[in-house]
Amino acid sequence: MKDISLVRILPQEPRVPFINVRMIAAAFSVLAIIASIFLFTTKGLNYGIDFTGGTVIEINTNEDPDDEAIRNALIDMGFNGATVQGIQPPVGALDQEGNPITHRLMRIGLQLADETGEEGQGAQQAALKRATDGLEERIGEFYIRNTEVVGSQVSGELRRKGIMSVALALLMVLGYIWFRFEWQFGLGAVFALAHDVILTIGVFSLTQIEFNLTIIAAILTIVGYSLNDTVIVYDRIRENLRKFKKKPLPEVLNIAINDTLSRTILTSLTTLLALVALYVLGGSALKGFSFAMIWGVFVGTYSSIFVASPLLLALKLKRGANTGGERAEV
Amino acid sequence: MLFFSRSKILMILGAVFIGLLLAIPNALPEKAREAMPGPFQRTINLGLDLQGGAHMLLEVDLSSILDQALINERTAINDAFRRAEDRPRTEFVRADNGSILARMRTKEDADKAMPLLENLSQPVDPTQLNSPKTTRVTRESDKNIRVTITDQNIEFIRKQTIEKSIGVLGRRIDPNGNLELILAPEGDKRILLQVPGAQNIDEIKERINKSANLSFHLVNEKDSTNERAMSVAMETGRVDASDKYFPFAASNGQLGGLIVVKRTRITGDCLKDSSGGPHPTGPGAVVNFSFNVACATEFGRMTARNINKRFAVILDGEIITAPNIRSAITGGSGYIEGGFTLESARDLSLLLNAGALPAKLTIVEERTVDPSLGADSIRAGKVASGIGLLGVAIFMWLSYGLRFGTIANLALSTNIILIAAALSLFGSTLTLPGIAGIILTIGMAVDANVLIFERIREETYNGKTPINAIETGYKRSMAPILDANITTLIAAITLYFVGSGPVRGFAVTLAIGIVMSVFTAVIFARLLTATWLRGKRPKTLPI
Repeated sequence: MKDISLVRILPQEPRVPFINVRMIAAAFSVLAIIASIFLFTTKGLNYGIDFTGGTVIEINTNEDPDDEAIRNALIDMGFNGATVQGIQPPVGALDQEGNPITHRLMRIGLQLADETGEEGQGAQQAALKRATDGLEERIGEFYIRNTEVVGSQVSGELRRKGIMSVALALLMVLGYIWFRFEWQFGLGAVFALAHDVILTIGVFSLTQIEFNLTIIAAILTIVGYSLNDTVIVYDRIRENLRKFKKKPLPEVLNIAINDTLSRTILTSLTTLLALVALYVLGGSALKGFSFAMIWGVFVGTYSSIFVASPLLLALKLKRGANTGGERAEV
Repeated sequence: MLFFSRSKILMILGAVFIGLLLAIPNALPEKAREAMPGPFQRTINLGLDLQGGAHMLLEVDLSSILDQALINERTAINDAFRRAEDRPRTEFVRADNGSILARMRTKEDADKAMPLLENLSQPVDPTQLNSPKTTRVTRESDKNIRVTITDQNIEFIRKQTIEKSIGVLGRRIDPNGNLELILAPEGDKRILLQVPGAQNIDEIKERINKSANLSFHLVNEKDSTNERAMSVAMETGRVDASDKYFPFAASNGQLGGLIVVKRTRITGDCLKDSSGGPHPTGPGAVVNFSFNVACATEFGRMTARNINKRFAVILDGEIITAPNIRSAITGGSGYIEGGFTLESARDLSLLLNAGALPAKLTIVEERTVDPSLGADSIRAGKVASGIGLLGVAIFMWLSYGLRFGTIANLALSTNIILIAAALSLFGSTLTLPGIAGIILTIGMAVDANVLIFERIREETYNGKTPINAIETGYKRSMAPILDANITTLIAAITLYFVGSGPVRGFAVTLAIGIVMSVFTAVIFARLLTATWLRGKRPKTLPI
């Protein structure tokens, strides 16, 4: 039987000089990190109510909603900071009666700037009721599909927890790699991960896509994915260090990256395939998440090749100390 | 690597087969599912964001409970001093910085007071041996004695308050017990409430917000004759000591309020039962009630002594009615009128039967999803995973040819089935981010197979025979596959423990997906490869 194979197109033993361009890559990464930090401090993130506290409702007005009328109605009621945003329903969406939704849905955000403490949290519920009752009076009947109310105390905790979870994950990973490899590998991997996290935050600051709890989940998944990639390359480096005892370190690293290159490309492509399907079809609730993940696949792949591996050189990896593996050479 | 003993083959196939059986109920209609044996009836638990429902985080106002505990303690101290045979004289007994400070006239008074105060300190939990005491008594100086409520007692009060609140909430929101509520303590002072498929959220919120503190008080007729008498009574300070002013509830129709005797033994705890019903003589509706025996006796005595006076029925700080006592009410039952409709009478009796909430609850987080939106998310998730799956499958065939592509894709589909099986078996909850986790797993699951196949390809290129190449390919790929997946698993586990709500659902599916993908790619696919190899004994590898 004849078999067709796509990846045969790639050379079996590619020798792309990745390590030679490490200085250019380093300059690029440093610039990107500076830009990200700059964006984060100047433009900031578009935090969702998970982190700022507030109220968001998604309504179905049974026809294409009039953004301006809704905005004016809210201002009329005294909700001056209200945001109004039309959103496309997910593929094949049905309304409460089972009819297909062909028009946009409306997402309304209410911020209560002056809400403090427990009294204010009760006020938030009261404001929600006032807003929905008042809107019904002004723009006619609508159907609430989704309500989210997050108190300021809860949002503060979620913010702390979010930062803590990313930091904790990085720390535990550092420990594991340290234990399995050498300390240079552990540090190299964590630097690469921090690089990915910072660049992801930078992109969210640049695009001003809403940053909420699911994005934290996405960042942790990026950490997992990027690490996956890095560990595969590192494992090959460890193996090649034993195989090519005479070759200079940069060359050994380069061979390892090239050895795993086709796998890197293939896995990135299959993951991207699944994620693009999710991005296009998953509806607005998962847009931010899948966007972050798609970005993460690119940045994670880049960092394993151009950040994690060259860092081993910078961290002065010693030959001979790398016998951490348990397999005898054939 | 390529040899499998018969028992091992049986175990692997058995695991896949059981997985298939566990996953199948999810695809069956309910009728067919009921015919399956016990463990195979389980299906994946859908999160509230997928099936629709309300998720709320309620914060219990513990500070008011602790304030109340302090007030009770002060009353107890005053009572103890008053009842003592050799009464110690005090300058004052007052709340001070979260504890009670008693300043006595002289050192001798303080000496007398010490044993009395120490006597008041009871075991926190009388059912336990060596239970810590409720209060700690310290002599601060000759005349000053401080009584502090112990941390253990505060903790006990906290737990009790949360427990009682959960009980009351359950009876209020789901009196018939058919809503499959989730009510659980969350952290120190919060309660998690989940109501699947909830339709009437406003009604639920109403039931959370009402404390339903009911009590019956005698009206101080002398001070309540008219508005002027009341303001005089309040200004002269008489009201503060034993009486209190309460306004009429809006539903009552009367304006103003009444001054009532604060002390009463007839409270919501007295109720044996209550129900809403039509007014027996006039229009509107009433709340019928009956007291337990002790309270019925007490109520009979109270009414017999106060004929032609009024008693006020107070609910959450408002007088709902204040009828005249025409004769002693000895049967321990009666009805409350107060401008009720049949519906509001029934609502109130529901709250009264459920009991009063021990503390005020505030909704600090709410996420409510309409079932129609949940259904949309499921549909979109199915389409996205279907397309993702198809795309990845085609890609694997293109990359590794028919033979190895099929092996990888069989492993991939087995992976999905096993994830569904594990989710059904453990009863874990699938959320929208969880679906994202599965779709992501579809993309990442083939990674292990890609690694192995790339290695086999490489070994073949280096001139190894097919069997040798496959053998070494699997062997050499083990370490990187394990390292890579364990590190991802670490991230998933961190996410589970630190994350909350829907994010946890994502962590669960991601973790299950990682474990299953290692099994299917490393063990199941290897079995398939070995079987094919033994049957065909190929000279070259179609990879």
